[in-house]
Amino acid sequence: MFDKILIANRGEIALRVVRACREMGIASVAVHSTADSDAMHVRMADESVCIGPPPSVDSYLSMSAIIAACEITGAQAIHPGYGFLSENATFVQMVEDHGIAFIGPSAEHIRIMGDKITAKETAKSLGIPVVPGSDGGVPDLIAAKRVAGEIGYPVIIKATAGGGGRGMKVALDEDGIETAFRTARSEAKAAFGNDEVYIEKYLQRPRHIEIQVFGDGKGRAVHLGERDCSLQRRHQKVLEEAPGPVITPEQRAEIGGICSSAMAKLGYRGAGTIEFLFEDGEFYFIEMNTRLQVEHPVTEAIFGVDLVRQQILVAAGEEMEFRQEDLKIRGHAIEVRINAEKLPNFTPSPGRISQYHAPGGLGVRMDAAIYDGYRIPPYYDSLIGKLIVHGRDRHEALARLDRALGELIVDGVDTTVPLFRALLENPDIQNGDYSIHWLERWLARLADPNS
Amino acid sequence: MSDDKNHAGQDEDTSKGDVAFIQALAELLNRNDLTELSVKREYSENDRLTVSLSKQGKQVVQTYAPAPALSLPAAPAVAAQAPAPAATASEDPASLPGIVTSPMVGTAYLAPEPGATAFVTVGAQVKEGETLLIVEAMKTMNHIPSPRSGTVKRILVDDGSPVEFGSPLMVVE
Repeated sequence: MFDKILIANRGEIALRVVRACREMGIASVAVHSTADSDAMHVRMADESVCIGPPPSVDSYLSMSAIIAACEITGAQAIHPGYGFLSENATFVQMVEDHGIAFIGPSAEHIRIMGDKITAKETAKSLGIPVVPGSDGGVPDLIAAKRVAGEIGYPVIIKATAGGGGRGMKVALDEDGIETAFRTARSEAKAAFGNDEVYIEKYLQRPRHIEIQVFGDGKGRAVHLGERDCSLQRRHQKVLEEAPGPVITPEQRAEIGGICSSAMAKLGYRGAGTIEFLFEDGEFYFIEMNTRLQVEHPVTEAIFGVDLVRQQILVAAGEEMEFRQEDLKIRGHAIEVRINAEKLPNFTPSPGRISQYHAPGGLGVRMDAAIYDGYRIPPYYDSLIGKLIVHGRDRHEALARLDRALGELIVDGVDTTVPLFRALLENPDIQNGDYSIHWLERWLARLADPNS
Repeated sequence: MSDDKNHAGQDEDTSKGDVAFIQALAELLNRNDLTELSVKREYSENDRLTVSLSKQGKQVVQTYAPAPALSLPAAPAVAAQAPAPAATASEDPASLPGIVTSPMVGTAYLAPEPGATAFVTVGAQVKEGETLLIVEAMKTMNHIPSPRSGTVKRILVDDGSPVEFGSPLMVVE
């Protein structure tokens, strides 16, 4: 086992890793920029090293500074947290070339899953369901009609060279395919200089369901059920829950089994998340995140496991401490992301926290890296804490969340807390009846009740 | 644990003496719960011993490859108040005028190679751009140039000691 681990991150996730290290008797090294000299992760770690100026590119993203910090402190392993260098295959290679262990998957697996096309091909070859589509360019209207007929309407026509919504048209039925196909082609030509388009099944109100997987890197892998992260704003998750309110035990066992056997085949090491769109009982692969997720605590709550501890164990070549049959869901967990943002526009709100009081009591976990008098620097993302509640069932978890939000005090800056209080009063949220579009539509209605 | 030894006198007795000396240092390191220790001994002009000990299995490889030119960021922040000529225990060297801070995290070396003469000593006159010391990061030797012409007033790091980004290295006025 490692004697010392360097944490190449900041904020609540750095503190999260420090906590796991301490429980395992491993010394921790925090790295920080000059803007974070007083940060909680620096205060709580056993050692700290200043690695650069405030901009992330010169500090938290500086591969050479982080490896040099390992060298001067004698850390034997690096935990990357999430974001920053956590899914950078070049960094992983560099770390391993320096004889330092990377607490995460291999560089090769990060590379495969980091490329959208390779990831989809790999997922497909491993038996993971993907969005049905044309598998490449569709040359003409006849071919378009044939493909759309095979996969079933509605379909979406997308530019091969595209992105950002341009060159994308939906055809609800066969009557609409001609217009959609021709418009998409001409938009693609105008926007990207290439009129090649492909066709995929169009999902109207999908949910975002992701499966937590964990592998030992030696061919053994398990799944830890799903998280429903459909409540998003501009592709940023806002509230996550586990288990998913609409996933049946049979669906969980089936998709979970597909994912864990895929990871076993791949020889995947550590924590990973396979993200799906879910509609009408079917799962469609979006992408795989080859790291710990922000929302991992909801999974930890319902399974009673410490995922960071397991990450460290397998990175050190030891066995993970659970088998699939040990993993039983108990109760329901919900996480809300407390961001330093001013509503209604979610404008970043850095500044000094004049008073902070964390909620407590049964089933309440607060993962934050703030304290009285802490100044939130303006250089990094606005997540300042995560409140996670665990109850015997979803109803109890919702009531507990409401109670805990009432206890939480963050004075001096604006936060997203009022958003969650309002959401908890909404019947759709109470009933778990929402898709990936729900939150943006609800926010739009709040901003303009006539829309 | 690693040591670096550069000893001109190769006769056996001296070698044995050196081994005993290094062992004694290693015990000192453990007994006092230190993580790092570095000692330089000058026996005569061409006969010296440099020992660096560290506890975490760190390899301080002293292969001095030619280092790429380093562009130093703008002159470090200089405190407004006048410096206290005599250093006090509570003084923060980073706030001294004329302070030169480390542009990177790494290991500081005061000489171009083990046993060689240091780049500068206290009292030396330096020109702007002249190398003051080396900071090694990821096996690359980065020459730290003087941000100004002047006199080396203080040297704040020991040879072979770890430095952070922004660590005070020297005072050049």
